[in-house]
Amino acid sequence: MVRVVVDMNSGGGGSGVGGTSTSSWVSTTSVSASGKRIQREMAELNMDPPQDCSAGPKGDNLYNWVATIIGPAGTPYQGGIFFLDITFPTDYPFKPPKVAFLTRIYHCNVDSAGNVNLDILKDSWSPALTITKVLLAVRSMFTNPSLHNPIVPGIAHLYLEDKAKHDQLAAEWTLRFAK
Amino acid sequence: MEDQTVLTVKSNAEPEKISHSFRCCICLDLLYKPIVLSCGHISCFWCVHRSMNGLRESHCPICRRPYNHFPSICVMLHRLLLKMYPIAYKMREIEILEDERRYDFFSPQLDNHACGPLVDNECHHLNDSMQFSGIFCGSSSKTGSHENMEQLQPVSVAMKNGTSEQSSIEGITVAGKKLPPNELNDNCKQISIVDVLCTACKQLLIRPVVLNCGHVYCETCIITPTVQQLKCEVCQCLNPNGFPKVCLELDQFLEEQFSKEYALRRDVILNHEFATMCSMGAGKSGFISSSGAKGEHSSWLADAHSKVHVGVGCDSCGMYPIFGDGYRCKDCKEASGFDLCRDCYITRSKLPGRFNQQHTPEHRLELVESSIFFDMMMRYVTGQREDRSAAVVRADDVFEENGSPATLPDNAQESASGALTTPTTNSDNLTDQNNTDSAS
Repeated sequence: MVRVVVDMNSGGGGSGVGGTSTSSWVSTTSVSASGKRIQREMAELNMDPPQDCSAGPKGDNLYNWVATIIGPAGTPYQGGIFFLDITFPTDYPFKPPKVAFLTRIYHCNVDSAGNVNLDILKDSWSPALTITKVLLAVRSMFTNPSLHNPIVPGIAHLYLEDKAKHDQLAAEWTLRFAK
Repeated sequence: MEDQTVLTVKSNAEPEKISHSFRCCICLDLLYKPIVLSCGHISCFWCVHRSMNGLRESHCPICRRPYNHFPSICVMLHRLLLKMYPIAYKMREIEILEDERRYDFFSPQLDNHACGPLVDNECHHLNDSMQFSGIFCGSSSKTGSHENMEQLQPVSVAMKNGTSEQSSIEGITVAGKKLPPNELNDNCKQISIVDVLCTACKQLLIRPVVLNCGHVYCETCIITPTVQQLKCEVCQCLNPNGFPKVCLELDQFLEEQFSKEYALRRDVILNHEFATMCSMGAGKSGFISSSGAKGEHSSWLADAHSKVHVGVGCDSCGMYPIFGDGYRCKDCKEASGFDLCRDCYITRSKLPGRFNQQHTPEHRLELVESSIFFDMMMRYVTGQREDRSAAVVRADDVFEENGSPATLPDNAQESASGALTTPTTNSDNLTDQNNTDSAS
């Protein structure tokens, strides 16, 4: 059966795996396969867009998308329009897409560079997940920040200590950057 | 001739609308060469293979249930899809074949050897049911279908050429009349009960489960051995992932498609179960709880002496990656190679390779050494501490030098016994870890 070279940046491990007869299978995920899947997701998004979300390719490149999420009502992010940058790897969907906020946001799971700290975008990624589901997960992060595993501990701390202050700051940021 | 018919079909027809049940959750396209995992979720051959982890156990993309074996293609489902969506399925075939040629890795060709016995069985059954219930009424279609069968038996399951497709449609519309017409679109009319029979009871499948070898049974038709591993009655292959779960997508489809027959079967089975509930029920539940893929796997990991062949799978049982001894064919020229795990090497498995290799029993196999570097990395990745495996390696060396453990000096004996006891603690840790993983 097929042997796959372990996904490490250096190819050096390959020589250790068992000598000369080892055929390395780089990745048979063809670009066309991932492209096809992305196209399907695009069609699905257009047909049945998730609430308060939209997404689509930035330009000609199918692998670079921009998405928007409208801050859900009842949260300090209400009414804000948040832009996100989505980059698909060539072996998508077997590797997660990279998702980052372009709009600045005061949230304990988003760092100052816009990186999103979401488990499904890391170890818990599954190829059955789609961009629609990712956007919904990001959206639910607005209403339920994951406080036990924050990327900005200060914000999580403030949320627990003084929620009113936290909400006020978040609303200010929303007004300043997302409107 | 085959290609010509495909082209004509392609030019004058749009691909069919595909039911949501038969859409692969990974490529979001029509399932192609479907594989059913032990949790009952379906994906394409390549989608399952690519989503598997070459380093450690894999997880179902949908329910995240862990599994270690790459199952074989479910031939019944393959044929069913080919029949329901001839155009779309053919288009998928062309598309995938293009990709396979580009990378020089091929999926099994189902039309030749892989499903020979299955075809014969079903053809016999088709014969029986024809005589029995007289599905075919017109004399012309009767002769047509006999011809069809003569063609089928030696050649192929996938009724590719135009004539066989035609006559099968003719034959089945009669059966289709029994069904409520509103639920069916044109494509589904071609499906009849003979396409969805249980491998064991030869009746309509009810609560279908698919074994690692790709054979489909009713949940109630599987004879569960109390001591041994579950075994397929047709191909005698062991089913490694414990008792498989019902393939709910297929079950739902069957219930919709053959509502009357399905209800009838369900009633019969319910009555039967009620009668034998006490003895059977207890035995089965005991079996399920005792055999878990998880336990099996963690014991491999915990066994300090087991080797891991990173990214190499067994071409017979599908274990991926191979744990323990691995054997590689010296004569197979394909890029994918041909490998067997220890158990399959010992039983001299005669199954063809998972990637359409031209392996024959005459080929020579050799034992493969897995590198210590990868072993250690593997342990590191899976959460076992490196120093432990290092200690084990040292203990091994001592064994080799001195020949027998009886002559060991005291401290070495200590370290050896230490190494022997570590696996148990490791396995505890590991199962704990797994539990928390699955809980979260």
